[in-house]
Amino acid sequence: MDENTLTIDGEFGIYRVAELKPQILAHVIDIDEPALALGNVTEIDAAGLQLLLFARREAANLGKRLRIGSASPAVEEVLHVAGLSAEALEEAVP
Amino acid sequence: MNEYEQAQQTFFEESRDMLRQIEDALLALESNTHDDETLNGLFRAAHTIKGSAGLFGFDRIGSFTHEVETVLDRLRAGEIALNGDLAALLLESGDHIGHLLAETADGSDQPETDAAGAALKSRLLAWCPSPGIGKVAVSTPSAPAVASPERPWHIAVDFGPSIFRDGMDPLSFIRYLGTKGDVIGVTTRIDAMPAADAFDPEVCHLGFDILLEAQCTKADLTAVFDFVKDDCELRITAPDAEVERWIGVLQGMPAHGKRIGEMLVNCGAVTQHELTRALSTQQDTDGVAPPIGALLVAQNSVPDQVLQVAVTRQRDQRTEESRFIRVQADKLDSLITLVGELVIAGAGANLLARRAGEPRLLESTQVITDLVEEIRNGALQMRMVQIGETFNRFRRVVRDVSRELGKEIDLEISGADTELDKSVVEKIADPLMHLVRNAMDHGIEMPDVRTARGKAPGGLMRLNAFHDSGSIVIEVIDDGRGLDRDRILQKAWERGQVPANTELPDDEVFDLIFTAGFSTAEKVTSLSGRGVGMDVVRRNIEALRGTVKLSSRPGEGTVVSIRLPLTLAIIDGFLVSVGPASYVVPLDMVVECIELPENTPNGASYLNLRGEVLPFLRLRDVFGIEAPPPVHHNVVVVRNGTSHAGLVVDRLMGEFQTVIKPLGKLFRNLQGIGGSTILGTGEVALILDVQALIDSATRNAARQDGTTTREHTAESAFGDAATSSTEN
Amino acid sequence: MTRTAEAATVSAVARQFLTFQLGGEMYAVGILRIKEIIEYGALTAVPMMPTFIRGVINLRGSVVPVVDLRARFGAGPTAIGRRTCIVIVEIEADGESQVVGVLVDAVHEVLDIADADIEPAPSFGTQIRPDFVAGMGKVAGNFVILLDLARVLAVDEMASVAAAADADALPPVH
Repeated sequence: MDENTLTIDGEFGIYRVAELKPQILAHVIDIDEPALALGNVTEIDAAGLQLLLFARREAANLGKRLRIGSASPAVEEVLHVAGLSAEALEEAVP
Repeated sequence: MNEYEQAQQTFFEESRDMLRQIEDALLALESNTHDDETLNGLFRAAHTIKGSAGLFGFDRIGSFTHEVETVLDRLRAGEIALNGDLAALLLESGDHIGHLLAETADGSDQPETDAAGAALKSRLLAWCPSPGIGKVAVSTPSAPAVASPERPWHIAVDFGPSIFRDGMDPLSFIRYLGTKGDVIGVTTRIDAMPAADAFDPEVCHLGFDILLEAQCTKADLTAVFDFVKDDCELRITAPDAEVERWIGVLQGMPAHGKRIGEMLVNCGAVTQHELTRALSTQQDTDGVAPPIGALLVAQNSVPDQVLQVAVTRQRDQRTEESRFIRVQADKLDSLITLVGELVIAGAGANLLARRAGEPRLLESTQVITDLVEEIRNGALQMRMVQIGETFNRFRRVVRDVSRELGKEIDLEISGADTELDKSVVEKIADPLMHLVRNAMDHGIEMPDVRTARGKAPGGLMRLNAFHDSGSIVIEVIDDGRGLDRDRILQKAWERGQVPANTELPDDEVFDLIFTAGFSTAEKVTSLSGRGVGMDVVRRNIEALRGTVKLSSRPGEGTVVSIRLPLTLAIIDGFLVSVGPASYVVPLDMVVECIELPENTPNGASYLNLRGEVLPFLRLRDVFGIEAPPPVHHNVVVVRNGTSHAGLVVDRLMGEFQTVIKPLGKLFRNLQGIGGSTILGTGEVALILDVQALIDSATRNAARQDGTTTREHTAESAFGDAATSSTEN
Repeated sequence: MTRTAEAATVSAVARQFLTFQLGGEMYAVGILRIKEIIEYGALTAVPMMPTFIRGVINLRGSVVPVVDLRARFGAGPTAIGRRTCIVIVEIEADGESQVVGVLVDAVHEVLDIADADIEPAPSFGTQIRPDFVAGMGKVAGNFVILLDLARVLAVDEMASVAAAADADALPPVH
């Protein structure tokens, strides 16, 4: 894991989003090519999804692209339900 | 009648209704060919006749109707379009089905009818090319033939901000939707998400647009979001197929007494929740609240097209109300008779209670009397039908007659939902027919004449009805040339009906048209623009205890106003007595009551009423009542055509409302008595037919002219009255 | 053989008749047509009708015409007495049933008269029109006149008589 990647492990949901928001926001602001490693996320809910979409929007506002380094099956499933995918998430926000 | 026969009877009645609908629909389509709903209705009506005929094995009806249905089906599918020829053919076909129904009903099948049917069939077939024969030239389709490709359900949901904190995961709703059908696309929206600093990740700002292919109802889908319904924005757009299904359900739904919101919920287009929301919006609106349908459309709860169907349906249903329960008229009549008896019995009990002087008894009989009164009004109300059905029959008449005359005449109907007693409706159709034909024939000018006069080439007939102080007023209005008052007056002078060079107010001049013999004179027909037999029209209307009035402006048209009682079952009467007998004078005939001047000679038959000659009849003499006369006589002044006459009676007993009892066949030749009624005492009182009584006296006077000198017979006053009346 | 059997059956059937008094003569009518018998009272005269149409009464809410039978037989109007009754009968006219009241001097009793005891109507000799007579019933050695009510109370005929009466209904006042 390089410093360009922020790794989120375990639960990624309503109970942690308050704690994760400043981290993710800082990461997006500070890093030129921000990336999220989600391979070890065990659980994710809509609050987590919302935070991901928030991160993507903030990155785009800064003219950056947010990369999803890895996605666990839980993340894949949630993205699928929301009509998204890791790849789609990485694409520039229109 | 056994059940089968009864069912057959119902079939005939219903089929006749259907035919009327077919006719109305065709006429409506002639002016607006793009009305899918009317087309569907047309097809369904034919389909129903065919189906029911098959059920009873009436193959003659079934097979012919089948041909009609086939053409209608193509029309509905937009493969052919309705033009004048096709409309005429379908109208003829409708008439033919009517003949078939009539012949089947009385078991008198005529071979000529079959021949006519075969001819019609071959004409119908020309509109239905069999496949493979090649295309027959058809007009442009009036509607797209196929429905657009099926669209899935579109569910747009914006979750409430607190949903995460409430421990719910919006995604689970989408997963659950997946169990209802195939989620073929989801778009996640974050438009509502605030800027980075303000963004609270525990507050939900998510919205989803979900496309779902599913065989389910809107209610099923709404139920998915039940847990969060109060706190999310949910908009469900149905696929076209579902919208069509709603429309189908709406069209088949009895709309009687239902509100729009209720109809939309019942057909599945709107959920109860959506309705509740719209209703509360409506309540919160200050001032004039928008209609519920508009609110539902505004909050995206229902497509406008569905709303329009519901609105039309509700409106149509009002005019079709009579079809809801079929009650045999005689059952209703006997109910009304019974209630009438109840009224009389109640009056009797009231009388006894008053005599007993027991206040509590009086009070309770009064309560019963009031209730009975309400029941009677309710029972009479059941016999009320809307005049619309009668009016609608004139669409065909106007269409046919205007073609015949080479005129372009439109019919406009208003007040179709005005109600009146069925018995009155049945009897007013003939006089109306007369008036409408007359107006079209003589009132409305030929197109070139109209154009020359700066009018639109097409004429307009209007039928209008409304309630006015306990009566119904029916108006027959044309925008034709109007009555020529000077020519009418001239004619009346020539006829000696009005003393030469005597002027009359307009209404009295127009009234002359209703006098017997006046309108039959050929000259007047061509001059005045009114045809034969207006006196018959007036007589028919007066037989219904009604009145008829004309007003007209030269070049602008004529209005004929008919005023009728709402019911023939009840009469406002004025009770009088002669000796031991009581008689009822219909109140609308009574002008005033006066005492017979004491100096009136015994033999006299007229008196001086404020300077005018008032001829009178002594009921005591006319009816041969032998009881000793009272000291003072009273005179009831009644209407006699355009003038007045008097009826001399003993006592005046006041006004009352009463149920009319027909006297029966035995008395059918009796002139001067219109019926009877039962008084509170149980005694039968006879209702006077004032006009017939006076006519009869006038005829008698005429008969005796040869043998007696005019001045000395009682009746001669009437003979004179007919000619002198207009002098006043 | 068959005929005898039939005849025996017919003669064994006795029908019931109501007998009543009218101007000193005894008449009878089959009870099947009779609905009820009521006391005379509260009759409303209908003007301009022949004398035999006495008027109308209120029979529990229906207005029912009353025919004066004596007058119908051409013997002048019935004088109302203590025992005067109105017999309410139902007759068929043009497929419709019509309820008519019949004014009689007094009602007697219901009798069984066997068909065998009914003689055909004589062509003359009775006080009334022969077509009004359905037959002569033998009761205790006397004859009673069995009336053909359908004829006596023929609505059409009575109504046309009424029309003729109406033509003269308005007498000159002098």
